[in-house]
Amino acid sequence: MPYLLAAHVLLALVAPLLVRRLGRDAFLVLAVGPAAAFVWALAQLARVRDDGAVAESYEWMPTVGLSLSFRLDTLSLLLTALVTGVGALVLVYCARYFSSGSAGLGRFAGVLLAFAGAMLGLVLADDMVLLYVFWELTSVFSYLLIGHSAQLKAGRRAAMQALVVTTAGGLAMLVGIVMLGERAGTYRLSEVVAEPVGGTYGATAVMLVLAGALTKSALFPFHFWLPAAMAAPTPVSAYLHAAAMVKAGVYLVARFAPGYADSSLWRPVLIPLGLATMLLGAWRALRQHDLKLLLAFGTVSQLGFLTLLVGTGTADAALAGVTMLLAHALFKATLFLVVGIVDRATGTRDLRELSGLGRRLPAVAVMAVLAAASMAGVPPLLGFVGKETAYAAFLDAPRIAGWASGLTLAGLVVGSVLTFAYSARFVWGAFADKPGLEPVTPRPVGPLFAAAPGLLAAAGLVAGPMSGLLGEGLAHYAETVGDGHPHSIGLWHGVNTALGLSALTLAAGFALFAARDRVAAVQAKAPGVGNADGAYRAVMRGVDRVALTVTAATQRGSLPAYLGTILAVLVAVPGVAMIRGGQWPDTLRAWDTPLQAVVAGVALIAAVTAVRTHQRLTAVLLVGATGYGVGMLFALHGAPDLALTQFLVESLTLVVFVLVLRKLPKRIVERHSPVTRAVRATIAIAGGLLLGALSLLALDARVAPPVSDAFPKEAYEFGEGKNVVNVTLVDVRAWDTFGEISVLTAAATGVASLVFLRKRTGAVPRAHAIAPPPPGPTPGPTPAPQSVWLPAGALMAPQRRSLVLEVVARLIFHTILVLSVYLLFAGHNVPGGGFSAGLVAGLALVVRYVAGGRYELGSAAPIDPGLLLGLGVLVSGATGVIGLLVGGEVLQTVAFEQTLPVLGHVKLVTSLFFDIGVYLVVVGLVLDILRSLGAELERLDEDEDMDVDAPLAGVAR
Amino acid sequence: MTRVLPPLPVLLPLLGAALTLLFGRHARAQRAVSLSVLAAVLVVSVALLVQADRNGPQVVHVGDWPVTLGITLVVDRLSALMLVVASTVTLGVLVFAVGQGTASDDETPLSIFHPTYLVLSAGVSNAFISGDLFNVYVGFEVLLVASYVLLTLGGTGPRISAGVTYVVVSLLSSLLFLASIGLIYAACGTLNMAQLSERLAELPAGTRTMLQVMLLLAFGIKAAVFPLSAWLPDSYPTAPAPVTAVFAGLLTKVGVYAILRTQTLLFPGGHVDDLLMVAAALTMVVGVLGAVAQRDIKRVLSFTLVSHIGYMVFGIAVASQTGVASAVFYVAHHIMVQTSLFLVVGLIERQAGTTSVDRLGGLAASSPLLAVLFFIPALNLAGIPPLSGFLGKLGLLQAGAQDGSVLAWSLVGASVLTSLLTLFAVVKVWNKAFWRPADQAPRSPEAQEADALMHAGTAPRVMVTSAAAFVGVGLALTVFGGPLYGLTDRAAGDLLDRSPYVSSVLGGAP
Repeated sequence: MPYLLAAHVLLALVAPLLVRRLGRDAFLVLAVGPAAAFVWALAQLARVRDDGAVAESYEWMPTVGLSLSFRLDTLSLLLTALVTGVGALVLVYCARYFSSGSAGLGRFAGVLLAFAGAMLGLVLADDMVLLYVFWELTSVFSYLLIGHSAQLKAGRRAAMQALVVTTAGGLAMLVGIVMLGERAGTYRLSEVVAEPVGGTYGATAVMLVLAGALTKSALFPFHFWLPAAMAAPTPVSAYLHAAAMVKAGVYLVARFAPGYADSSLWRPVLIPLGLATMLLGAWRALRQHDLKLLLAFGTVSQLGFLTLLVGTGTADAALAGVTMLLAHALFKATLFLVVGIVDRATGTRDLRELSGLGRRLPAVAVMAVLAAASMAGVPPLLGFVGKETAYAAFLDAPRIAGWASGLTLAGLVVGSVLTFAYSARFVWGAFADKPGLEPVTPRPVGPLFAAAPGLLAAAGLVAGPMSGLLGEGLAHYAETVGDGHPHSIGLWHGVNTALGLSALTLAAGFALFAARDRVAAVQAKAPGVGNADGAYRAVMRGVDRVALTVTAATQRGSLPAYLGTILAVLVAVPGVAMIRGGQWPDTLRAWDTPLQAVVAGVALIAAVTAVRTHQRLTAVLLVGATGYGVGMLFALHGAPDLALTQFLVESLTLVVFVLVLRKLPKRIVERHSPVTRAVRATIAIAGGLLLGALSLLALDARVAPPVSDAFPKEAYEFGEGKNVVNVTLVDVRAWDTFGEISVLTAAATGVASLVFLRKRTGAVPRAHAIAPPPPGPTPGPTPAPQSVWLPAGALMAPQRRSLVLEVVARLIFHTILVLSVYLLFAGHNVPGGGFSAGLVAGLALVVRYVAGGRYELGSAAPIDPGLLLGLGVLVSGATGVIGLLVGGEVLQTVAFEQTLPVLGHVKLVTSLFFDIGVYLVVVGLVLDILRSLGAELERLDEDEDMDVDAPLAGVAR
Repeated sequence: MTRVLPPLPVLLPLLGAALTLLFGRHARAQRAVSLSVLAAVLVVSVALLVQADRNGPQVVHVGDWPVTLGITLVVDRLSALMLVVASTVTLGVLVFAVGQGTASDDETPLSIFHPTYLVLSAGVSNAFISGDLFNVYVGFEVLLVASYVLLTLGGTGPRISAGVTYVVVSLLSSLLFLASIGLIYAACGTLNMAQLSERLAELPAGTRTMLQVMLLLAFGIKAAVFPLSAWLPDSYPTAPAPVTAVFAGLLTKVGVYAILRTQTLLFPGGHVDDLLMVAAALTMVVGVLGAVAQRDIKRVLSFTLVSHIGYMVFGIAVASQTGVASAVFYVAHHIMVQTSLFLVVGLIERQAGTTSVDRLGGLAASSPLLAVLFFIPALNLAGIPPLSGFLGKLGLLQAGAQDGSVLAWSLVGASVLTSLLTLFAVVKVWNKAFWRPADQAPRSPEAQEADALMHAGTAPRVMVTSAAAFVGVGLALTVFGGPLYGLTDRAAGDLLDRSPYVSSVLGGAP
């Protein structure tokens, strides 16, 4: 069975190529796929009859219980033959329906073939999930096929509507399948039906499954998508929306009926819905003028009828149901194909414009009459047999309450009367001579074009007299339903009540047709019933409205709102957890030394004032003060290294802020209402208090001494250093540091990326490398004489120069650099290390820049910061690799000890090189910041008058 | 090989970043370095996956420091799988970016993209392989800082303002993460996650729950779990297509990974599962409603991104073997599908000059290949069977049904509703952008003119090939869904069992 499916997939994939090569005749080749499956199915007839079923199974996804299980039993065989037989014929029909040049024909052919494959898989699948897979695939392919003519808005809309409705049902069905599968412990369809899941759980689950069936088979109240789907090309309507896909729901009901027809909700749902659909569809079919729409509503009606029959859950009704299923596929496909021929031959499908066609296309008319007669239930056609069996089934329905079965029977008769009427109206509308209407002159219809409907119509004719034989076969399925003893079926059962009802149906139906003008008048006056399409639209509008409302409420586009939400959640969730389960310490020690309280108090005041000030610079300085305060706390806690680093970072941050502040307005404008501010203050204070309280709780809960207690000893013995912090950074947790220097590197590129919008590489120009004089009030570059303190200072605007600064910068620059190198090398044993050392060197550059301007910066560090950054990461990374190369772990410290001729005993530890890498990165970062936020912003300021290409104003993409 | 392979997914990209910085002026050399480094990372990741699956977690004690003193790298099945998926994405998107010219656009300085992109990749890898809570934070910082740079590439107005939202929210999240680490260290005295899993159990239940929700909060922001998710749709869509693609694919999943890892390893027992379930349901539904309300494809996709994070949280919250296995499967699926879709949208933008459905039209007729490349992952996103999105969802539904609680059933309902609305959202896009003839699009004449100006013509073949490859990988997740599900099932077993992880790090003796 998988081979048949694979063949369909293959044909679907090559279909576009075939169409390009052969034009519309490609459909004839493609028809081989379904035809082969048809032949295969017939060949299995004997095995199925003898063994009950042919099954195959392959593992696919055991974790979620999904297997490629297929099973061919009587019901599947019927559906397979139907799906593949009609499929093959429709493909043949396509070869004449379309013209070779029509747009997208290759794609269409591919999708149609893929659909045929999915449909085949659906009726063969014995794994419920696999069935769902094919189920959804048919929905998707149907969407694509309906949308084949997507130029029209109605077509696109109909395609989407069909997809949304059937998928909605499908998803409900999926939940039902999962419920059944998990409870039954198997997803095997045959097993779940053989041993039904009972109780409310089972009933609920099977109702969810039925939701899928009802939407797919367009039952009331989901029927509206099917008439809309008539936007599809007629072969698609014939195949998907009459013969095959819409039958999937009926198939599913028939499949589950043997196990679940007695579950509590089954009959109360299926019988009324089926009956209502039958009546509603037939009633609306009577008022259509478009032949295709007439058939579409007829299909809705018939699907209701079929669902009712297979859903009743008695052996007789089931037998009637499957017989009608076959009959319906034969006559409805014929009728749709005939409409397609009429449409192609005359250019219209409106029965108010068609006249005299019967005499001009007699062969086609005969087919239509045969099919319509079968639909109307006229003997000796198969439709008659099915309908009479149905009557008989409800005349004697042991499992249904007497009044219910009587009511249903009455409904069936009314529905059948209506069916007769619209069948007659169809034939009359398409082919009859109408007084006062010019007869149409159709284009000739070729034999191949008419072959498919002809064969189907003939099959309906032959099947009627042969129905006894057919019934014997189908009884294999009916025996599994209800009491399991179906009566035989056939054309003639003698004179009985059912026959009487049939006669009544024909007579009343004919009367209704004869009085069609009066019926039309009544219909025009009657309120439109079942306007579910309007309901669908309302639901969709509702979804859109809810979506907009919810999104407008949650997606405010305001950063403060987002931060407020996050902090509010912080206060709410951990806050609640704290109140509910916090174990508070018994005693509290406020501080180690009162000095801590003083420092904390100062930091606190600075923080509060920073929020309230309106001067940007003041705010920055105050924030800096909080940072220094934290540094002081580190120092008081006995962590000089941390304090040093914190102070350096704060200083550098201040410098960066000040550089940026040059571009920002001086004052902070307060735009928020007091209420907003109060809310924000509340959230902020609550958040702060919460974190404080959490720290208290966490520290109090300490269960083990911190791992850092072991650091000093290990650092000395294993890391060869006395400065624990430095050993931690470059050795114990060097992996962290390695990550952090890449953070610095990325940050540096980011700063540069934002400021230099064009080209970033290249060092800052040095004083003597400047060709044109810098613009501005300064005179051109004067050759820097030796006596000048800073060589490039002369290039600064005179009003910005400060001799004192220049002198100081000159005097201390190299001293600071030496200090930084000392810090770098001594860091392993005394406070210092690559990070602080790099910051110190960076501050030296800051001094040079502030005192001497951007050209001075170029002179002080005539190097591309990118190079420093790259080199730094490379050096640190390389020491990591050395550990691996010598057979240790990554970043393992390796010591090289050697006695060299001149230097004597030398001991080199790789962690030192790691620290050098850190140093380079930090220097690179500072240089990059000075270059971008300092030098480049300065240059842009100076250029502003001439050059409008300011940063942050890049080209909109 | 155990000691060599695990650090490489971090080490190689960082060394590569260094080289690309040094090659600042040689675009071709940079390209060669980036591509070969990321290709090597992919190979290493696959090797790690094979090893982790066969021999259990691969553990490295960095610097050969005694365990719990130094930093430990742990590559178990979950980490290795994440590495493979992530390196596939970074490599594929790099190819796309090189083809598009993002990597060497005139507007963006040459030496920004390559180093930063490699740093991003290293950060993602580090977050996946680290066995040390603080080092996970470092991994997050690495990838976040790199992402700040990439998000604001080119420095256009919308990108800067999106960048501000993104950076500030991310900083807040990092702050919370760091604070949580501090609190955990204060209570437990260690950062090694294997050791933490033992020590956290000794804490008073109330305190432990507080630490748990603090971490969840920090990761929830990164993973974009409602109500912490609003930043995402406001920041992702403005970036260049490949950047958005890699962000959408990977970054939120790092948050999901962190939630998964910490919930299973550090906080077993499901004390906040109900909370997670509610968050999952809200994330799904609110997110997808946002998608329905959008008119720009990039924003539609950004909202579905948020929404489908809910599926993964669903699996984590149910915390059964099936639930976790499906969540991991869904992570892999979602990374691939979101990346594919954003890349395809990049192609659309390249071709039509816009991503607004009000201005697009007729794409199915004008570029059938693009149509196929959009349609398949779009359906996959909507969970249409048999695509991988369906397979993940199926497992989650089963997990929900097995759980059987009222909340779990509500989650089952929320997931199918989300599925339907996702389908609705993408089909709306398809109907308008692909089916509707271009002349029916309700765009203004000015808009038409602007589009014509931006019309960059057909995309280079490299871009199309890269996007197609992603769609192909997405399909492969379906075809090889069986083995993949088997793997995620074993990974889930490890996670719930905890002992493979803990004993491989601590050596059996606590």
